[in-house]
Amino acid sequence: MKMSPMFLWGAGLVALWGVIALAAPMLATHDPYAIDFEALLQAPSAQHFFGTDNVGRDTFSRVIYGARLALYIGILGVIAPMLIGMAIGLTAGYFGGWVDSIAMRVVDVAVPFPFFVLVLSIVAVLGPGIENYFIALALVGWVGYARLARAEAIVLRSSEFVMAARTMGFSHPYILFRHVLPNALSPVVVYMMTDVTLVILFGAALGFLGMGVAPPAAEWGVMISEGQIYISTAWWISFFPGLAMVLIGVGFALMGDGLAKMLRIER
Amino acid sequence: MNPLLSVRNLTVRFGETTAVDDVSFDLPRGGALGIVGESGSGKSVTCRALMKLLPSVAKIDGAITFDGDDILGASEAKLNTLRGKRIAMIFQSPASHLDPLMRIGDQVAETLRKHTDLKGRAIQDEVLRLLDVVRIPDVQRCARAYPHELSGGMKQRAMIAGALACKPDLLLADEPTTALDATVQKSVLDLLAELRRTQGLSMIFVSHDLGAVARVCDDVLVMRKSKLVETGKIRDVIENPQHEYTQMLIASHPDRLRLHKPQDVARAAPLFEVKGVQIRYGGGSILDSLMGREGGFVAVKGASFSVQRGEALGIVGESGSGKTTLARSLVGLVKTAKGEILYEGSPAEPTGRNRAAYLRDVQLVYQHPYEALSPRICIRDAIGEPLRRHKLCSPKDIPAKVADLMQQVDLAPELGDRLPAQLSGGQCQRVAIARALAMDPRVLIADEVTSALDVTLQAQVMDLLIRLQKERGLTMIFISHDLAVIRRLCNSVIVMRQGEIVEAGPTADVFDSPTQDYTRTLIDAIPRLDAAPA
Repeated sequence: MKMSPMFLWGAGLVALWGVIALAAPMLATHDPYAIDFEALLQAPSAQHFFGTDNVGRDTFSRVIYGARLALYIGILGVIAPMLIGMAIGLTAGYFGGWVDSIAMRVVDVAVPFPFFVLVLSIVAVLGPGIENYFIALALVGWVGYARLARAEAIVLRSSEFVMAARTMGFSHPYILFRHVLPNALSPVVVYMMTDVTLVILFGAALGFLGMGVAPPAAEWGVMISEGQIYISTAWWISFFPGLAMVLIGVGFALMGDGLAKMLRIER
Repeated sequence: MNPLLSVRNLTVRFGETTAVDDVSFDLPRGGALGIVGESGSGKSVTCRALMKLLPSVAKIDGAITFDGDDILGASEAKLNTLRGKRIAMIFQSPASHLDPLMRIGDQVAETLRKHTDLKGRAIQDEVLRLLDVVRIPDVQRCARAYPHELSGGMKQRAMIAGALACKPDLLLADEPTTALDATVQKSVLDLLAELRRTQGLSMIFVSHDLGAVARVCDDVLVMRKSKLVETGKIRDVIENPQHEYTQMLIASHPDRLRLHKPQDVARAAPLFEVKGVQIRYGGGSILDSLMGREGGFVAVKGASFSVQRGEALGIVGESGSGKTTLARSLVGLVKTAKGEILYEGSPAEPTGRNRAAYLRDVQLVYQHPYEALSPRICIRDAIGEPLRRHKLCSPKDIPAKVADLMQQVDLAPELGDRLPAQLSGGQCQRVAIARALAMDPRVLIADEVTSALDVTLQAQVMDLLIRLQKERGLTMIFISHDLAVIRRLCNSVIVMRQGEIVEAGPTADVFDSPTQDYTRTLIDAIPRLDAAPA
C-alpha cells in the first residue's frame, strides 16, 4: 500500500502527541498541579514557556499533561460506539427486513437531537465524570457508525461476490465477517478519525461546563474554562490548550483523509 | 476537396501513460469512419480529443483540423460554438447522459434554444420533427415523457435526436449501441446508417464490435494499445486483414469461430428438471392478501425445462426476459413462488436445509468479472476459500489443489498473490471459474460470463469452458443475450421473453428454423461481419 503524504503528516502529528503524552513527566518543566503564589498570572517567559494561571500553575506543563487525558478520552471514547455501531449497522444492512426496520427506527429517534445535547443530558443524569461521558458516548455515538455501516452493507449484500459466497454455501455470519466487513471498513475508519477529534472536543466542552473531568485536573477544556475570565489580561491560559486541541484535531483529520485515499482500491 | 476532419500525429498523455500514440486520419465530408479496438486501446480518448473533451491533466499533441479550423489551439469560447452545433456526440449509456428530471422534449429543445434562432412554437415543432427523424413512435407522448419512462433504445434515439438538433456536420458516436439488446442495437445501427444517407451526416463511430461498425461505416481504424495498427475500407479489412492483431480480432468474432460440436447426450432420465417454476418479486403484503391477489412483479411465469447429464443448455432472451432470475433460482439466490426443481429425480431445495450439499454439485459463474470476486482477498485465497470452508481437502493439501485449479484455467501461478483489481477482466473470469470448480461441481451455470469481455477474451473463455466441459463431463447451462455464443456452445436452447419460455429445442433446429417470430428477430439481430451495410 502506498503511503499518502497526507496520512504521513497526520500520523506524524498524532505520533508526536503520543510521545508528548508518554514522556510528559520528562518534558514538563514544573509539577502541573503545584500552586505557586509567587508567580500568579505570569506572561510566557523562559521560566514559564506558556505563562502561569491564576494560582501560579505552569501552563506549559499542564498542556503537556493534558495530552494524556485528551488521547485517553479521544481514543477510548470512539471504540465502544464504533463496535456497537458496526455490529448494528452491518447486521441491519445485510439482513434487511424487520431487523433493519427496528435498528433504523432507533437511529431515527437519536438523529434529530443535536448530538451534544443528548450527551450532555445523559451526563447530567448520570453525574459528572469521564466514565459517565464514555457511557453517554456509547449510548448515542454508535448512531453515525451504524448508518455508515448499514449503507455499505446494503450495497455489498447485492454485490456479485456476496452472491457468489452464498452460492458456495457459506453461512451468513461467515459472509458478514469475511466478505462484507472488510469492504465496509474503510469509510468507518475514516469517520472514526474525525470522531476522535469530536470526542476530544466534546470532552473538553464538558470539562469547560464543569461536567467532565473535574478540576484541578490538567485537562484542556477545564483549563480554557479557568482562563476564561482572564482572557483580556492573561490570554495564554486559554490560548495554549486551545492551540493544542487544534493541533491534535488537525493530526487526526489529516490521518483520516489520508487513510481514505489509501484504503481505496485502485484498478 | 479538403477533408471535413483531419487528424495529424495525435498523441494524448495522462501523466506517464500514453493513451493515444501518434494517430493520423482524415474524414471526408459525408464519410463514416469506424474506430475499433478493445477496452483500453485509446479509441474513446481519440474520439473525445476531437472535441477537446478531455480532463485538463491530459497532454494533447499533434493537430486536429475541422473544416479548416484548428481545434487544439482554439479557445474555449470558439470550441463552444463548434460543440453541439457543428460537432455533436452521443454516448454509450443514454440513461446517464439524460437529465432524469427533465422531459425528453425539453432536453432536445434546450439545444435548439442555445444554438439556433428558433423561438416558442417553432421549437416545439422542430422537437417533434427531430423525434420523428429518429423514428420514435408516438412523438407527442414521448416528448412529454421523462427518461425513466422510455426503454434503453428509445433513450438512445432521444439522445441522437438531441445531437441532430443543430444539423451538425459531424456526429461522434462513442459505443452508442453497446449497452443495448441485440435487437435494439440493430435498429439503432440501421437508424444511424439511414441518417447518414438522408441527413448527409459525417460520422465517427467508436465500437469494440467490428460487426456493428460494418453496418454503418465505409472506413475503419483498428487501434490497439494506443496505436493505430490498421486502416482501410471496412470490407477490405474484414476480408483481408493485414495486421496480426486485426486477424486475431476477426478470427475471434463469433461469426468466424469454428462451430463447436457439442457432444451428443443420451436421452435418459434428466439430471435437472424444472417444473412450472414461477418467481415473483414483492407481493404477499397484507394489502395484497386483503385484495385477494398475489401482488408483486412476476419475473418468471411457469418455466419448465429439463437438462440431460453432460448436456449444454442455452437460455437466451433480451434483458428483462427473466433468464438471470431463473438461473439464480436454481442456486437458491431467489425463492420460487410456485413449481419445483428436481435434481437427479428428487426435489432439490436450493434455499432449504441441505443447500450446502446441493450447491457443491451446482455452481454459478457470474457476469461481471471484477464484481464477482471479493476485492480485498487475493485470488489464491479466493480459489481456496470453498476448499477451506467446506473442508473439501485437508488444510495442507490446499495450496497444491489451488495451484492445480489455477493451471486448469490457464492462470499463471505467480498471479496468486494479486488482488482482483490487479488482474484483467479475462483473468478475473478465470479465477471465478476456478473457484466454482474447486467445489468439483457436476453442473456449471454460466450467467453471461462472456458479455463483459472483449471479443478476443470472449473466445478464450468460451474455449476454456468447452475444454472443461469435455474434461470433467460437466453439465452446463449458459445464459446469454448473445445468440452467437449460445449457438457455438449448446446442444439445446430455450428462448425466453418477458418471463415466459417461448421456444425450446435442439440448437440447430431453433437456429435454422425458428417457429416464433421473436426468435427470428433475435437471430437476425446477431451482428455479422459479412452483412451488407444497412
